[in-house]
Amino acid sequence: MGSLTGRLFVEMLREEWRVHTTLFRGERFSLFPVLLTLLTASAAFGIAWTGTDPAFVLAGAFALVFAFGLHTGSIGLIGRDELSNLLGEQTRLVFSARTLPISPRRLLAVFVASDVVFYALMFLAPIALGLTPVVRLTGVTGVALVAAVGWLWLLLLVTFAFGLGVTIATIGLAQRGRVGIALAVVVGVALAAGTVAVVTDLIAADPVAYTPYGLFREPTLGGLVVTSGALAGVSLLAARLFDVRHRRPTRRADPAFRRWNRRIGEPITTKTLLDVHRSAGGFGAVVFSVAILFVVTVGLVDLAGRITGVAPSTAIAFGAVLGLSAFTTYNWLTQYDDIETYHSQPVSVAQVFAAKQRAFVLLGPAVALVFYALAVGWQSAPLGEAVVGVLVLIGTSGYIFGVTIYLAGLSPTEFLFDTALFALFGLAMILALVPILVIAFTFAPVSPGALVALGGWSVGLAAIGIAGYRRSIPRWTARYRRR
Amino acid sequence: MSVIDLSTLQKTYGDSPAVDGLSLTVDEGELFGLLGPNGAGKTTTLEICTGQLTPDGGSARVCGVDPVAEPTRVREKLGILPEKESPPSFLTPREYFQFVGRVRDLSDERVDAQTDAWADRLGFRAQLDTRSSDLSRGQQQKVMLAAAFLHEPSVVVIDEPLANLDPIVQEQVKAFLRDYRAAGNTIVITTHDVDVAAELCSRVVIMHEGRIVADCRPAELGEETLLSVFLDRVGRGEAGGDGLDGAAAGDTAANRSPSPTEE
Repeated sequence: MGSLTGRLFVEMLREEWRVHTTLFRGERFSLFPVLLTLLTASAAFGIAWTGTDPAFVLAGAFALVFAFGLHTGSIGLIGRDELSNLLGEQTRLVFSARTLPISPRRLLAVFVASDVVFYALMFLAPIALGLTPVVRLTGVTGVALVAAVGWLWLLLLVTFAFGLGVTIATIGLAQRGRVGIALAVVVGVALAAGTVAVVTDLIAADPVAYTPYGLFREPTLGGLVVTSGALAGVSLLAARLFDVRHRRPTRRADPAFRRWNRRIGEPITTKTLLDVHRSAGGFGAVVFSVAILFVVTVGLVDLAGRITGVAPSTAIAFGAVLGLSAFTTYNWLTQYDDIETYHSQPVSVAQVFAAKQRAFVLLGPAVALVFYALAVGWQSAPLGEAVVGVLVLIGTSGYIFGVTIYLAGLSPTEFLFDTALFALFGLAMILALVPILVIAFTFAPVSPGALVALGGWSVGLAAIGIAGYRRSIPRWTARYRRR
Repeated sequence: MSVIDLSTLQKTYGDSPAVDGLSLTVDEGELFGLLGPNGAGKTTTLEICTGQLTPDGGSARVCGVDPVAEPTRVREKLGILPEKESPPSFLTPREYFQFVGRVRDLSDERVDAQTDAWADRLGFRAQLDTRSSDLSRGQQQKVMLAAAFLHEPSVVVIDEPLANLDPIVQEQVKAFLRDYRAAGNTIVITTHDVDVAAELCSRVVIMHEGRIVADCRPAELGEETLLSVFLDRVGRGEAGGDGLDGAAAGDTAANRSPSPTEE
């Protein structure tokens, strides 16, 4: 049986590679680790260069890797609808307990192990390497630096595996119906309450010391025992609770298409919005994506104020960063169909693109503007800046939408992992956003002249977005039919 | 009068030709079958006819329209069931029909009547409000089949119409296709199942490696069977023979039966 497990491990690793190369433009995916190393290094170094404590940058990296672990577990195990939409009808080895003489538990264990190894090599090693300059800023040099980066990689791996385990255990609980879901909610609420209690100093404790990040900051026996115990515990729980043979109950839906379409007035837009509404997370996923950007901007604005001693322009900063949500919103709108979905109907590529644009206009800026209003109200931004901030938000949203649809068509997720396209997209974002952010963070309060310039810049960005959208139609019409 | 007219169509994927100089016509009122083994070029041919794919060479006219120049107009005229396509995951079958009805500008009453008729005909009434992603492959195929006929087109193009269907439903679909043709409509199907082609089609073109290797009417084959013609032409092709062009493929009823392109 040992050799069978080994064989299965190799095949699952191969399967993981093929899923990623199929999803993300073939063999060019192999360049992705290089790009990720460079991106991590430049982002981390850039943040550290602003005077941010390197420890804060490293803590952020651990938090991101934990979130990545949580997300990876959900895609691999419950995101089957999404994978089917992207790859067509397909079956992963982890779900083959009915056809292979292997126990479901062993399949799950080998799947998790292969996933962890794959991500350790393709994602976490580049991230650890990219963080080398920041680790160096903590005063470590020479051979010790190499050892520290290796230790960092191992702890990031533990963090990722912990996130993966938490998701699998939670899905396992959810498979047990209402009682399981209630239990998961109770655990979640208890954790949130504990966090609030620690943050507000109601409880005098330093839970961070017992996390992988705490171990990196200052290795202690207590930290080592708690971290190892937590990982082992969550792994055991995941193995006990998750059932790979679980079948989701058939889901029914009240007819909503006609009702929605009467209000929206265009069937592909209606279908697109219904898709998002009925997907896991629903419209909440869109709101959550914007909320993350909102929280990041709150942190950035606060940090910049503390470093420079000058409060940045809240309205302009929030307008620019919330405009970035255009990318995630467009992702949600294109996640559940592709051009083949419409091949049996008299629908042109232009009509599909127009429908996506309409859905984007209905959903994207509206959510971002609500968060923008919150930020501007909270910081009592001057009226002039608040008005230009709206222009900035709409201009950047339109620009990002136009650039994305031009470069990636209906597959924005795929192009993120296409190194060349991603670099092009990154450059387009830097060229558009850096001037706005420089003004927001270093020239506050913004002078009337700069406000006029920003307004003009935003209108220009929107115009480029519209032009990109228009050019995308003939470009992708030809591409989709050439194959 | 021909509803499909293809002339020296050429389509290559990488180095391998999927369709290699294919010429054929399909007449109004035929139940026409494109028969061939996997990879023969059947689906590629249909994708060109329905404007999904641009050929590398040759020309096509479908219902009097050039599908390369006007793909949307061709699809307006046709009912289409593509291979491997399934209804949108998050819509129910009822909603999918309503979506198709809106796209094709059909009245709500007509869509509702068609929905009821097809749900009863293929037995999926109980699944009308189930999310399509939760339907079995067979149920999804039934929904896609119904959607192709929703606007009652005079020409229907179906890639593997009986795929994933149980034997009882297969018989119901075959009977429906015969009746639909008897009402004066044209149906083009692809299949790799010789028995299905022999039983269902008024005319069958056998494709192999992107070319036509036989063009026959099963009812007129006499002592030969479609299976023997298929094995003779495709079997020789697999063995590496190159004399597979209809005109040079030996003295069989398949060749004696004139194809519309020869008429």
